[in-house]
Amino acid sequence: MIRFLLRRIGLAVPTLLGVSIVIFVTIRIVPGDPVASLLGPTGSAEARERLTKDLGLDAPIPVQYVKWLGNVVQGDLGRSIAKQTDALPYVWEAFRNTLTLSIFAALVAILGGIALGVLAATRRGRVASGFSTAVSLFSISAPQYSVGLILIVYLSAGRGWFPSGGMRNPTGDSGFGDLLNHLWLPGISAALVPLGIIARMVRSSMLDALSADFVESLRARGIPEWKVRWHAFHNALPSVLTIAGLQVGYLLGGVIFVEIVFSWPGLGLVVFQSISQRDLPVIQAGVLVSALAFVVINLIVDALHGLMDPRIRR
Amino acid sequence: METATPATSSVVAASSSPAAASPDGRDGTGQPTGAVQPTLRISDLHTVFRSRGLTVAAVRGVDLDLHPGEITVLLGESGSGKSVTAKSVMRLYGANASFSGAVELEGRDLLSLPPKEMLAVRGAEIAMVPQDPTAALDPLRRIGAQLVEVLRQHKVVPNKAAAQARALELLDQVGIPDPKRVYRSFPHELSGGMRQRAVIAIAVSCDPKVLIADEPTTALDVTVQAQILDLFQRLIAELHSAVLLVTHDVGVAEEVGDRVGVMYAGRIVEFGPAAEVLNTPRHPYTRALLDSIPTPGVERGRLRSIVGQPPVSGEIPAGCAFGLRCPHAFARCRSVDATLISVGERRQAACHLLEEEVSA
Amino acid sequence: MTVVHQITDPTRPGAVEDRPDEVPAEPDVAPAATKSIKRRRLGWPARIAGSVCALFFLAAVAAPLLTPFGPLEGDRSQRLLPFFSGGHLLGTDGQGRDVLSRIIWGARPSLLTGLIPVFVAGLVGTVLGLVAGLGTRRINSIVMRTLDVFYAFPAVLLAIAIAAALGSGTSNAIIALSVILIPPIARLAESEVARIKSADFMEAARVSGAGWLSISIRHVLPNAAPAIVVYCTALVGLSIVYAAGLGFLGLGVAPPNAEWGLMVNDLRQYTFSAPQISLVPAVVILIASVAFNVFGDGLRDLLDVRAEGK
Ligand SMILES: Nc1ncnc2c1ncn2[C@@H]1O[C@H](COP(=O)(O)OP(=O)(O)OP(=O)(O)O)[C@@H](O)[C@H]1O
Ligand SMILES: [Mg+2]
Repeated sequence: MIRFLLRRIGLAVPTLLGVSIVIFVTIRIVPGDPVASLLGPTGSAEARERLTKDLGLDAPIPVQYVKWLGNVVQGDLGRSIAKQTDALPYVWEAFRNTLTLSIFAALVAILGGIALGVLAATRRGRVASGFSTAVSLFSISAPQYSVGLILIVYLSAGRGWFPSGGMRNPTGDSGFGDLLNHLWLPGISAALVPLGIIARMVRSSMLDALSADFVESLRARGIPEWKVRWHAFHNALPSVLTIAGLQVGYLLGGVIFVEIVFSWPGLGLVVFQSISQRDLPVIQAGVLVSALAFVVINLIVDALHGLMDPRIRR
Repeated sequence: METATPATSSVVAASSSPAAASPDGRDGTGQPTGAVQPTLRISDLHTVFRSRGLTVAAVRGVDLDLHPGEITVLLGESGSGKSVTAKSVMRLYGANASFSGAVELEGRDLLSLPPKEMLAVRGAEIAMVPQDPTAALDPLRRIGAQLVEVLRQHKVVPNKAAAQARALELLDQVGIPDPKRVYRSFPHELSGGMRQRAVIAIAVSCDPKVLIADEPTTALDVTVQAQILDLFQRLIAELHSAVLLVTHDVGVAEEVGDRVGVMYAGRIVEFGPAAEVLNTPRHPYTRALLDSIPTPGVERGRLRSIVGQPPVSGEIPAGCAFGLRCPHAFARCRSVDATLISVGERRQAACHLLEEEVSA
Repeated sequence: MTVVHQITDPTRPGAVEDRPDEVPAEPDVAPAATKSIKRRRLGWPARIAGSVCALFFLAAVAAPLLTPFGPLEGDRSQRLLPFFSGGHLLGTDGQGRDVLSRIIWGARPSLLTGLIPVFVAGLVGTVLGLVAGLGTRRINSIVMRTLDVFYAFPAVLLAIAIAAALGSGTSNAIIALSVILIPPIARLAESEVARIKSADFMEAARVSGAGWLSISIRHVLPNAAPAIVVYCTALVGLSIVYAAGLGFLGLGVAPPNAEWGLMVNDLRQYTFSAPQISLVPAVVILIASVAFNVFGDGLRDLLDVRAEGK
């Protein structure tokens, strides 16, 4: 198992290198002259030259990349142009809030998806099957920003059942109950797409597992149906988990829109503000942190998969 | 135990035939133990599948008695309904299957048993060894856990510790050299033969009265096959279970079978003591079946195809189902179906030719 | 069922789920009987969805004919009028512009930024897939490993990073979306090519001495095309949602132009004062997304490309 894990971690290294290259490229494709934009129209020729040198922009591109990567590894992702602070700590602070929201949404998506999928797989008949197909199709198709706004209008703005934004109530107590209250609407908005996907996946894996030969053998041994389904579910779980993990990773993308709609003080909101300020280092740091989290999530999922299915543990 | 009902219903097939030699088709035939009640009595079993407007009559009136300590073999080509017969006994089909007739376990009709009681019968009183040992085990559970699950389910042991001890004992009983290791193994870590032994251990764990083995050796190597068959015979001698062994391997039938029923298109067309049926077959289909083996005794071959195709279960021709492929068929065979009649001591066959012989 | 919901790997089992709905939950139905019945007509959900998609296209093409108001013309004294008032079917926005007219005009950039990336990525992805599938082992691994890197990002984030780096504007949004759509299409194309390569007729073609270009155009492409086209169709809904997302973030069309995503962001400030109006563009995008997905789904069922490929 340890060997298996180490191998997986080893495999993640080239991926991370690739990620860094892609992000580096997005830095370099910025149109216009970064020096000019930093200095503004009044910069002298001498200042230009010094800044170019300072920024290392006179070196060949591979050298620039290596230097940049060295900085990144040391946690230096450049400075925020708008905030005049180091981009990474700034982004990291926001990312923690994003993580809170994402974990909550992931729980909603996984639990809801499993419930819906199992229901669809074990209830016979066209109505149940059609219903679950429709529900998952709808939820898969629903853009996070649309869902978020609809939820705000119908469950928050008019009714006041839930807060329409923010993460904590500034006046009231800031306990867990308050946080949970703020989490529901954004959590559901972010969860809907992965929920639908997971539901479909669970349904088809459950159907596969239920049609496996060992299920008939279990029935022939007098194992009651609910236990048989539990066996089937156990067998469906590893593949469900893989997809679910991937979806949790994608949540990190969709959650941006949710954060904007609900003013959730996370990475998405930071990125959104940085877009209008053209604060590229922050955007890049945000994307890098998300990609890192994504890779880590995939690693965890891989490890869990190995834990759950002894056959793939090599 | 109510004996009247099965006796009468089982007579129907035989007595409807004008040439039936004995008023009770059963008692005079195939019962070495004479008056002893069979453990399992299948009477006029029909199994029909309905899916999407298609109706498939997979089993069309099977009568069969299983006696303790005896191996009854169902032999026949692929698609003849052997597995369906075996699984119908355990009611292992969903809502798309309907049964008629009777399956009596020591006088209790299983077909009309409430689902809950049927659950207690499966695995405990009637156990099954399926064809493919790999597919029979939950790939994600350790062998030990799967054994313990069954033991606990049917409450044959008082507690978990006892279940574990019993499981190890069972693994030892089925000839597994290292029970402790196998107990902790996942199915994929075992060889095919070991897996089948484990499956057999699960099947016999609750001392079943009836053991149904659906081609238990088909998926195994020839050498392993022989070992498993030996094990099987040994266990049955110990447990005194009544066994229904499904196979399409004539060699297996000959080696371990006490009695043989030859199935064709959902029916038993010939029945009798294994040695007799396989050495002096009476039904043209049995003969064709045996002829289709390349060199009997030298190579234990699979059934080679007989001229023509067996009828698809959905579209069985009028008259005798074998009529279209039978070299001896005559006019009557195309219009009237043949029923099982007694053709000599302890033997039955369903063929118009034999009817004439018997009545002559 | 294929609704592409995320940029995932279409060739990976489970990434695109294609299980017939009719498979019963309990065992023991002869599979042969279930499989042989194949639908050859679009089901009613797909037909309705198709009509809705057609309506959207019609709106985009005939916007000047359909709208009583221009997308930019507004009267600030008429701001935030409710539905059905003063000739404004869907009310007016904060600047007194007719919301319905803006939605109809907005269909143009919204559909274009959704469709063009699929088209571009379809072409580029197919070419990459052909190159990887027909090239040497080395070429294959270079192309495919490069594409793998893109799977390490949540696709939306990558699109945002690219679009933000390039600067806002429709063409930059289109470029960003094209980039993130290429990897899944290329993977599908590659796996299709690999499948076709192993077919018998390919052996015959190779023996007859045809060059790889002619093989790929005459044999591979026609066989791979249906699957790729269907997959691309299924991507349209997603692409439209992403495009509107970029617009929402201010990375697409510049204001005051009408574009759905931009309108969502513009109107969300009136969530409390004019909740109904604030929802209009969000709901329109939702409808478009569902419609394109259901339609793509039905199309796939109809062609059943995957089932035939297996
Ligand atoms: N669940 C089912 N639904 C519908 N038809 C079935 C079902 N199970 C079996 N059948 C049909 O019943 C017939 C008999 O099948 P069965 O499995 O009993 O054959 P068999 O004698 O065991 O053959 P084999 O040697 O191949 O196992 C076949 O025509 C089969 O198609
Ligand atoms: Mg069988």
